[in-house]
Amino acid sequence: MRIDAKVNRKIKGLPYDISFEVKDNIVSLEGKVEEYSDWVKIGSEIGDIEGVEGVINDLECEGKGSIVPKGFIEKSEGDEDVKMGGYDVVIIGGGIIGCALARELSKYQIKVALVEKEPDVSLGQSRANNGMVHPGLAPSKDSLKRSLNIKGNEMYEDLCEELDVPFKRVGSLILITSRTMEGYKKYIPDPIYKFFLKFILPWIVKKKGEVNGVKDIEILRGTEIHEEEKKVTQDVLSAVKIPSTGIVDPYQLTIALFENSEKNGVDFYFETKVVDFVKLGRSVKGVITDKGTLGCEYVVNAAGLYSDVVAELAGAREYTIHPRKGVELLFNKRLKGWVDHCLAELKIPSHPTSKGGGINPTVHGNIIWGPTAEEIADRNDTSVEREKIDEIMERYSSILPDFPKEGFIRYFAGVRAATFTEDFVIRPARDVRNFLHVAGIQSPGIASVPAIAEYSIERLKDMGLELDEDESFDGTRSSIDRAAEMDKEVLERRIEKDSRWGNIVCTCEMVSEAEILDAIERGADSFDAVKRRTRAGMGECQESYCLLRISEIISREMDIPLNEVRKEWRDSEFFDGVVRGEEP
Amino acid sequence: MKDVVVIGGGPSGLAVSSELAKKGYDVVLLERNDELGGLLQQCIHDGFGTDLFGESLSGPEFADIFISRVRGEDVDIKLEAYVRSVNKEEGLFNIVTVTPKSVEELEARSVVYAIGCRERNQFEIKIGGTRPSGVYTAGTVQRLINLYGILPGKDVVILGGGDVGMIVARHLFLEGVNSILMVYPEEFFSGLPRNAQQCILDFDIPYRPRTIVRDILGDKKVKAVELVDVDEDWEPIPGTEEIYHCDSVILSVGLVPYSEKLEDLGARVDKKTSGPMINEYFETTVDGAFSVGNLIQIFDYVDDAVKTSFTAAEGVERYLENESKKDLGIELKPGDNVRTVTPQRVDERTGEKFSVFFRPAIEKEDPKVEVMSKGEVLESCVKRYVSPSILEEISISKDILLGEEEVIIDVR
Repeated sequence: MRIDAKVNRKIKGLPYDISFEVKDNIVSLEGKVEEYSDWVKIGSEIGDIEGVEGVINDLECEGKGSIVPKGFIEKSEGDEDVKMGGYDVVIIGGGIIGCALARELSKYQIKVALVEKEPDVSLGQSRANNGMVHPGLAPSKDSLKRSLNIKGNEMYEDLCEELDVPFKRVGSLILITSRTMEGYKKYIPDPIYKFFLKFILPWIVKKKGEVNGVKDIEILRGTEIHEEEKKVTQDVLSAVKIPSTGIVDPYQLTIALFENSEKNGVDFYFETKVVDFVKLGRSVKGVITDKGTLGCEYVVNAAGLYSDVVAELAGAREYTIHPRKGVELLFNKRLKGWVDHCLAELKIPSHPTSKGGGINPTVHGNIIWGPTAEEIADRNDTSVEREKIDEIMERYSSILPDFPKEGFIRYFAGVRAATFTEDFVIRPARDVRNFLHVAGIQSPGIASVPAIAEYSIERLKDMGLELDEDESFDGTRSSIDRAAEMDKEVLERRIEKDSRWGNIVCTCEMVSEAEILDAIERGADSFDAVKRRTRAGMGECQESYCLLRISEIISREMDIPLNEVRKEWRDSEFFDGVVRGEEP
Repeated sequence: MKDVVVIGGGPSGLAVSSELAKKGYDVVLLERNDELGGLLQQCIHDGFGTDLFGESLSGPEFADIFISRVRGEDVDIKLEAYVRSVNKEEGLFNIVTVTPKSVEELEARSVVYAIGCRERNQFEIKIGGTRPSGVYTAGTVQRLINLYGILPGKDVVILGGGDVGMIVARHLFLEGVNSILMVYPEEFFSGLPRNAQQCILDFDIPYRPRTIVRDILGDKKVKAVELVDVDEDWEPIPGTEEIYHCDSVILSVGLVPYSEKLEDLGARVDKKTSGPMINEYFETTVDGAFSVGNLIQIFDYVDDAVKTSFTAAEGVERYLENESKKDLGIELKPGDNVRTVTPQRVDERTGEKFSVFFRPAIEKEDPKVEVMSKGEVLESCVKRYVSPSILEEISISKDILLGEEEVIIDVR
């Protein structure tokens, strides 16, 4: 059956008047629905149809109007007047994908620029996830996700070693418990149910992993499980152990990729928004931003949550992003001993759009619970509802029933940039000759990063980009040294040379003034930028001790008044003016 | 080898250091800041010292008295000293400090923790919504105004009706913010009545009991909060949500003792006070490790917090002179109408009387305070008025406890 017919059949059954168009396997939808959930559901059902390579969802929503934002800001006169240089490749988006691509391209003799609307790298979904380097078990066999996940996961040690970023291959356990198939329990006699969960299901999971290309999967039963993970629930019947699962600090990796690309000649433009493109026939000749125009031979769209908006500006609309929020709950380092592996409880049927999250350790010794998965209309909505915190606690406590849940220190939310086909979209645009989509990167995006970068460059080559290796490329980078990780002698020598190593400004994470200065030296110009680079403020007191102390250092080093120190963005200055009576 | 290392140069740490030095011991005092005095240095309001000195002093004035006492004795003061680790091996304490001068290892026969507490933050009370700039703890705001002369914002919501919140509210009012609203989940202010009158009522600062900040709104800076009424169990009442515009939120929602540092050493913590479990000489469950001041529990008056140091100094002396004989092991526990009791244990026969602090769980006029064991009242006294916002002190003589195992303090 042709795609038209399949789409038609789906749409006919719906209580809405929806029209559609199919071109090059991309389906465009128009019409009106009542609920946002219908907007998502219809998009997803069309995206599920075999052969569909993209869904452009222009359905309007009752009371909300159009869901998809049109551009970031109004294009204003003169935006294109300032010339910001000519580049071989302009990357749009400074998340982990854009930065990984920038670094990969910096290995060659070409001029590369990256534009980012925010003041720092990693401010979208790259900073707000649990840092899990998935093994590649979950994606379906024929997906692009699967092959890039498997390959990317294998590349992690080398990448993180070069960039001096902590990475740990902790392995994961998929737990099968008596709750795993709760919905079916009443139809199956108990001994058979238990037998299935203990002997058959883990085998099925293992087989699926092996078919996907995941190596060294083991099945654990009985005491073997508690030997691996002491405090896991007693009612676990079997577990599937996957040694290749890893953990990484996603924003530290992004920052490392950024620093190393910059060192190798990539130009980064922060607080620079793409407003339009200069087009000539089927080619983009320039990227127009609110700061000026960058000439380009090729454009990479790694704009994450806004990749569909950017694509539309270029005349390359092939998908719509449906934002999916995930809330994470972070626990005190003191609970470190509770979890050694990434833990998840298998539930069948699974959550339709998320693997269901779980409990993970972090490379810094915290424990993280989550994420949730919630379809939201507003892409910028990273708020956390009070109820979600309780929901997460409830949902995952079956994995570790005795865990001291009151030990959480923070919660946060990130928004996944999902497309309706739910696979990565890495391909040349159909209607624009020199525009590469690197979109729809959601879980297992972090794990796939190194492979996505390589794969994207192969696509650029296919599109005609000529690459000659740059012999001067230096792929190494060192991270900020940490007083907390130094033994007595090393720290003592540092202090002898520079007393600021002995001035501990964040007492929870033991961060010294010298580390704060190093972060500022590397370009951090706000409290949160310093925080991401040094971990100052990330401990149990959550900035209440160090906020002022670090702000004072930033104020001194940047030579700005204390009340102009920003949390992150412009218009996020911490404090107000001087007190009454001290006004000049 | 030092006789004692005191960690924390706030009022209690200062007091215990000077007392011990006066007794002739070799004392090292470690302070993480670059000046002594602790939190008192940012408390420029008065009301300190009425009990100990019979006059109402400001925080820095009160601190100065104890700073001079320490300076007058032979105490080895180390400022900007971060304590990286404390370990006990073969009866001796090994303390590793980091200062701008060096990493230093100290050996000591005993150690006194006077590290106080930290403020609870927005996450610990599960405030929902966004995480923009403009949310501060009250202590940060005090420091900001008093030490830097800068205001947090123009339109301020203060969450929490305790003493610190009330004092900060008055301060913000006097320093010229546009608007202040104080909200708190209790039915009445949880701080001292004196502060409610002098800080809030006298200045007509608006306040809303039985209300909490449910959500913070605003992406980059706080734009508003969602307030919601709560019931007696502090549970939000649906339908009472209200958006209130402001540019900063100040949290005065309680203090958490830094007892984790003592837990690392192996000391047991009382879940009710969140502080370490101590005996009548303020010794923790680790022999030779003592704890004083607000680390034990939050005292209403700094005078009371400092008084713990005097008793603790005696305890340290007894320990160092091998005079302490722990043979009683009587546990003190709160009854139904009491939230917390300290000390949690009475260990020694010596000393006729000792002080017990307890925080009532109820409000009552002319209540009877009872010291009970196995359902029998061992001793009782009558108070004029008790309330959860006032920490009570009674004196118990050890004679009546002899032979008991578990003693309960209650009010009726």
